[in-house]
Formats: sequence, structure tokens, C-alpha cells
Amino acid sequence: MTTPLALGVLGGAILSGTSLLYATLGETIVERSGIVNLGLEGILLIGASVGFSTAAATGNAWFGVMAAAMAGGLANVLFGWLVVTRRANQLASGLAMMFFGFGISALVGAPYVGAVIVGLPKWRPSWLGGLPWVQSTTLFDYDALTWLAVPVAILVWWALFWTRWGLAVRAVGERPGAVFASGRNPSVLQYQALSSGGLLGGLAGAHLSLSLTKTWAEYMTAGRGFIAIALVIFSKWHPLRAIAGALLFGGAEALQLQLQARGSAVSPFLLDMTPYLLTLLVLLAWGGSRRLVAPASLGRTFYGSDG
Amino acid sequence: MTRTLGFIIGFFVLVFWLTAKPAFADSPRLIIGVIYVGSFNDYGYNKSFHDALAQVAKDLPGVTVIEAENVAESSDAERVMEGMIQQGAKLIFPTSFGHKDFARKVAKRHRDVFFEHPGDGDTESNFGVFFGSTQTAWYPMGVAAGKMTKSNKLGFVIGMPIGYALGNVNAFELGAKSVNPKAQTVVVVTGGWSDKAKEAGAANALLDQGCDVVAMHVDSPATIIQTVEARGGMSIGFQSLEARALAPTGWVTGLGFTWTPFFMDVAKSVIAGRFQGQAVYQGLGQMVAIAPFGPAVPAEVQKLVTNAANRVMKGFTPFTGPLTDNTGSLALPPGATINNAQMGNFDWYVDGVIGKVR
Repeated sequence: MTTPLALGVLGGAILSGTSLLYATLGETIVERSGIVNLGLEGILLIGASVGFSTAAATGNAWFGVMAAAMAGGLANVLFGWLVVTRRANQLASGLAMMFFGFGISALVGAPYVGAVIVGLPKWRPSWLGGLPWVQSTTLFDYDALTWLAVPVAILVWWALFWTRWGLAVRAVGERPGAVFASGRNPSVLQYQALSSGGLLGGLAGAHLSLSLTKTWAEYMTAGRGFIAIALVIFSKWHPLRAIAGALLFGGAEALQLQLQARGSAVSPFLLDMTPYLLTLLVLLAWGGSRRLVAPASLGRTFYGSDG
Repeated sequence: MTRTLGFIIGFFVLVFWLTAKPAFADSPRLIIGVIYVGSFNDYGYNKSFHDALAQVAKDLPGVTVIEAENVAESSDAERVMEGMIQQGAKLIFPTSFGHKDFARKVAKRHRDVFFEHPGDGDTESNFGVFFGSTQTAWYPMGVAAGKMTKSNKLGFVIGMPIGYALGNVNAFELGAKSVNPKAQTVVVVTGGWSDKAKEAGAANALLDQGCDVVAMHVDSPATIIQTVEARGGMSIGFQSLEARALAPTGWVTGLGFTWTPFFMDVAKSVIAGRFQGQAVYQGLGQMVAIAPFGPAVPAEVQKLVTNAANRVMKGFTPFTGPLTDNTGSLALPPGATINNAQMGNFDWYVDGVIGKVR
């Protein structure tokens, strides 16, 4: 039975969009606190590798998810130590973190390449599974990470925009001096943003290795960390817009695979470019207004608290 | 900065310390060095070499194998091979296609060390090339898929549309059509040999569009086989015969490399001092083997597949003209054939394949 193109693309978009969304949410929190982490790709890899290794060693995918989240958070704390405490250049440290992520994830994952794991269990409500067309697709047959992706986005939105903590984090990203003057410690807030962002980045990696592919291979993220960084700009640093962004980018990848599977006469190379073409277009379109929406102190090091 | 540098250096020292091998107590008759571009536990290409050499080391007394994983296709490879030669390696397998140029450089410097490279190009007195010709072996795989499919739509995921991969797809479709004229093969290109998430997406897309048997030509079949298995589809494996462990119910059959007899000959020739750098290309029955059938495959289908395999082993080639490509033009004139050395030249899909080359 052939599935309508739209359903197939939607199904694929949700599956590959899940990890993009977690990664984008994590980076959004971090960038809202004024820090650019170009090492997101490395964080995803660390999450994927630690999650898979833990699941393979313990036989329980949930331990893998927890370990991945903790490893992602720890990696970002290490990054925080570089850029917040040591005040190193954020872009250079981010790239260093990325290569560190490549290396450490390969080292951790090496003994478990080819290991067979029981992935995260999937659950599809029976009334949804009975809908026409749905049965033969991946729709609504999701693991907990996919089911929770949108609720987590709402949670992040709530935390950033409706809590005192979120106000303070956003203020650090705009004017750390003002936060310092108001009696809060910008460094502590940045560490909090980094560790929660890293936790989400670790979950993104865990979804890739523990659910979507059930394998670990070096550099399996294949640039998804960078797409997520572009997605942060695309969604204008807003967690709810990130949902649409992740779906759109996941959909671009799904569309080219589905079109090929339907025997479309479009060149696979051309189709392969679509996600990246979309990234370029988005950067072009938002480029002009970027300064208006980006946190004002994004990428700048705050020297104020030591006087 | 110095601190960061210190950490980086410390990290590498740690890595070397963790991977260092103790010196050999008594000198063996032959040390074989192997370098892999990835990990050898990949249920795929690298594992096929690892398993074969482990067998050689087990069966030939006095043979030791030293291995290096994740050796990049860069001058790193040269350095690792030099290190292996210092450890006494006299026979080296640079197993990735991209290790070729670096291996050739090392071979020129060490005329007393012998090299066997899976690929093509000139041979030298100490440099041989070999590969398993998989294309014709895909024909019996197509027979199996054509018989097992209920939707008459077969899926094939390939990393990149190179000639060898197209040849595999073409033979697969020709085999399927020979037993099921309605069988079509839908090709999805992921754009890389090891993009796991895209492989999962490709397998899902093929299943969404009604394919019920999925075959693949990527580095490791693990992701695709597991994705297909989870959705109740059938799969045909490639690269390593062990991949069937990943699909207890949906496994049909598969192709794997069996290098052991050839490697055994090479190792013996080095020990006896009569190594010759040759180009050795062997197909089904020699360097390529068919994996055991899955539980869902009925006996009569198994028989058809075995018969087709026997014909291929006796010299039958599916690439015998006339063959039309999938745009309707004549691709191979009547009576013409394509031999093993020309398999890399495919730039067309045979009629019945749904896909576009470029």
C-alpha cells in the first residue's frame, strides 16, 4: 500500500525533527544567556555515543537516555568553564569542543560499534493506529522522546519567558552588567543555561542512536548540530518557533527521501541539497534583521563581575 | 591557550597509552598488519576483513595480526603502516579504497613488505590488488526478493550512485524480474556511505511507499536492517554474513565477503617467500558468499536462489544484451556482455529500476 506523499513526509519530518528540536531548544537556552556554542555537534555526538554505550552495557535504553543527558550537560559545563570562568573566546572554544566531541565520542563508542541494543520502546495509541493510512506509516508510533519533544519545547518557553529565572537568563544575554547590578551572578545563570542546554543536546544525540538508528557510528550526527544552530536563528531564539523550524528542516530531509522512494524524476543530488539550500535561504531572509532579535550580548565575554 | 594545548596533548597521550600493545614475547613467523577506516565491529565491510584475518591467524600457526581501527584516508595511514612495519609486519592490508595512495608510497619505501589492497590499479612486485565481484552475485538476491515480495516493489538503499553500486542494483532487478516480471526496484540514494539517520529515513520512506523487501549497499547494513525489521518488512543484507542476527524474522538472505581462502594463500606465499603482486577479482563462490536463509523463506524459493547462484558460479552473467535502460534506450546491444573489470562503469539503471542516476 502506498502512503500519500504528505503523510510520509510528515512521518519522516517528525522522526528526524525530534533530535533537531531537542538540539535547537538546548542551543536556544544557551544563546539566550549570551553564549554561542558552536560545539553543539560535539555535544550531540557525546550524547549519542554515551547513550548507546550505556544502553549496550546495561541492556536498558532508559539508562542510556539518562547517561546521555548527563554527559551532554557535563560537556557543556566544561565548555562553560572555558568561556565563562576562563573567559576564552566562545567561537574558538566551541570549535575545540566540537573536535573534542568527535574524539571522545569515538573513544567511548568504539567498544560498542556493532552492538545490538533494544531501543527505546515505542507506543502508539490504538485509536490513532486504526485511522486510515496511519497503520502503514511511522505516524504516531513514537518513543517517549518524540512524544515529549513538543511538551519540552513548551516547558522551555515557559521557563524562559514566564519565570524569574528565565527573565534573568535572558537579561544576561542582553546586558549582563544590568543583571550583575541587580544582585544576581551572571556566571551562575550562564552555567545553569549551559547545563540545561547540554542536557537537551545529550537527549538529541540519544534519540539518534537509541531510537532512530539503534546503532552507533562515528560522526553519525552528520552535521545535524550545525543545522540546529542555524535553526536557532531561523526560529529567532524562540522555543515555540523552533518546533516549526525542526519540522520544516526534518521535512526537507524526509521529502527528498520520500520523493526518491516514489520514483520522482528529480536528481538525488539536487534533492540532497534541499535542507542546506533552505538553511541558506533562511539565513539570507533573516540576515538583515538579525541584530534586532539576537540577544544583544551574544558571543561577548562579560568582564564586569570582577570589576 | 597553553592550558588547552596541555589538555589536548594529555588527551592524546591517554589515548596512546590506552591503545598501546605490549611487545611480542617470541617472534612469530608472520605478522600481518591491517588498517581499517572505521571500526571492525560494524557488521559490514570492515568486519568481513577482521573475521577473515582472525581465521587466518587461527589456522596458520605462527601468524599474528595487528590491527588499527579508524585510520583516516590521509597521511595518518602512512604513519600507522610505518609503525606496523617497525613492529615487524611483513604483510599489510590497507582495507579502505582511499588508503590506496598512502599504501603505495609505503610500499615503494619498503620493498621487502608486501601489500594487498582491495581496489584497482597497477600491481607491483610487492603490491597486489583484489576484490570480490559482487555484481553478478546480486542476481540470486534479486531472485529471492522477487519471489518473497507481495507488493512487487523492492527497495534498494545506496550510499552514492557509483558504478559498482548501480551494477549491484541492476543485477538485483534482473534477478527479480527473471522470476517475477512485475517486480520493480526502487532506489533511494542517501548521499553518504555512513549517514545512519538518513539510512533510517530512507528505509522508512521505502516502506511507506509500499516496498516490502529492502536491500542496501552502504558501509554497515545495521541501521537499515533494524529499521525494516521493526516495521515488519523483509531485508536482504550485504557486506557481512553476520548481519542476519539483526533481523530474526524479516531476514531473507544476503551477500557477504569471504576473504579467508584468498588471505590464507597470500599469507602462505609471504611465508614461503614467493609473493607475487597480482590483480585477483573473484565473484560468488570464492570471495563472495550467500548468507543462510531466514525462517520465512520457503524451501522452493531457497532452491530457486541456489540454482541461480549455481548458474552464476558456472559463469552465467545477467549483464548479457540486449538490455534497455530505465529511460527506454538500448544500453547493451544484443550479444554484448559486461565483464567483472567493467562493473565500475555503469551509469545507467536497467529497465524496471525506479531511480535516476544523476
